[in-house]
Amino acid sequence: MESPVKVWRNQKKTRELLGSCGSVHSWTIIRVPPAGFESQAPYPVAVVKLDSGKTITVQFVDWLEEHLVVGQRIILVLRRICEPSLEGVIVYGLKARPL
Amino acid sequence: MDIYITGASATRFGELWTSSPRSLSRTAVFDAISDAGIEKDQVDAIYVGNMLSGILGNQEHLGAFFAEELGLHHVPAYKIEGACASGGLAAHLAIQSVRSGVNRTVVVLGIEKMTDHKPEDVARALTGAGSESERISGVTFPGLYAMLARAHMNEYQTTERQMASVAVKNHYHGTLNPKAQFRTNLTIEKVLASSMIADPLKLYDCSPISDGAAAVVIQRDDVMSQSMKKKSVTVVASTVATDTLGLSTRESLLELASTRIASTLAYKEAAISPRDIDVAEVHDCFSIAEIYAMEDLGFYPKGKAGPALERGETHLSTSKKLVVNTSGGLKACGHPVGATGVKQLVEIADQLRGRVGERQVKHARIGLTHNVGGSGATAVVHILKKKE
Repeated sequence: MESPVKVWRNQKKTRELLGSCGSVHSWTIIRVPPAGFESQAPYPVAVVKLDSGKTITVQFVDWLEEHLVVGQRIILVLRRICEPSLEGVIVYGLKARPL
Repeated sequence: MDIYITGASATRFGELWTSSPRSLSRTAVFDAISDAGIEKDQVDAIYVGNMLSGILGNQEHLGAFFAEELGLHHVPAYKIEGACASGGLAAHLAIQSVRSGVNRTVVVLGIEKMTDHKPEDVARALTGAGSESERISGVTFPGLYAMLARAHMNEYQTTERQMASVAVKNHYHGTLNPKAQFRTNLTIEKVLASSMIADPLKLYDCSPISDGAAAVVIQRDDVMSQSMKKKSVTVVASTVATDTLGLSTRESLLELASTRIASTLAYKEAAISPRDIDVAEVHDCFSIAEIYAMEDLGFYPKGKAGPALERGETHLSTSKKLVVNTSGGLKACGHPVGATGVKQLVEIADQLRGRVGERQVKHARIGLTHNVGGSGATAVVHILKKKE
């Protein structure tokens, strides 16, 4: 179970990056997901270079096949990360929506 | 002072549901000790390489755990963790301890029990090797290497056929290894038609989830007889390098810098060049990883390994010099993560001692092992030499 204290600490980083734009550097589609992500698979994940120069690995949401290209522009949005455990907090964080 | 591998042994790798970590450790270690021709009470310390026992099996404190199990009462014992490079790291530290003069005879045990658990749980446990932001993204290890593959394909026109040829070669080598998890041949077409795991990596581009253990005995020359030295191999380099934990923060996705740095140091330490290597066990957790390894270890210039591997340049039956992953590699021999780095040493030691039967590389004099943790955050390189 994710510690709520850790989730709270990480929110600061999420706030700083929310709304940032960038472009896809490399991507894949996860078809065999880790525990907690089963209900979302298959889903794309990309290495994204933000306009600030920072690079992150981030899941795609609201996507179509045509968005899966190197160079695709994206914006970071707030989404629920994965299926919460029965007693745990619901973790929200950054995902990438194609522009 | 020279340092030797005097004993080496691995268990069979695979879905070993009837074996426990305890029984696997006994098989590997007692076989290695008997291979070395030493008595148990000569062992000064045990180094255990393991990644997942805590997170999957709820068992930590593996140093004392295996010291007790092996009846090596009261000896210093350590568990070393570096994701899939845990075994190589354990061997590196064991060698350092012998070099320093603290120990004269040490045992390295690499061990992992993975198939007791369901795939989603294993996949999640393995993501412990990556960064927090990678875990939040839902990426898996096949996914990280898939993104490396796509970057390599875009830059160097590396093809899915070239990647598939790595799996085909390693499966062929696996058919010659009685301890390999998979002993069946693959074809390029079969690899290309297998189900997609993380585009563009397919099922047969990926190493399996496995159980297994491997052990080596490492000794200083002053505790060895002349006859022992003759049938042992020397460790001429043992190096480690690290990189950022996550993939996205690397300077380039076109190389694993940790591999390049660790191998450059290793060639220097051994005073040889990549051209001198006859046989190598490299970290092919995914087919694309062997292509990266061949380039980052200095065997091929960037972008040239894919076509060379498709031509069979490192295949046992067609190679003119260097043969790679004669054990079957992680792909066909299996990948019990903490055991892999030690199994690589067992394979190379046995190649240099002329003990591997059908898969023997006849001219093997100098061998290399290359063990990677995570998506390249840790790389360990060893170079072994046959005693002339």
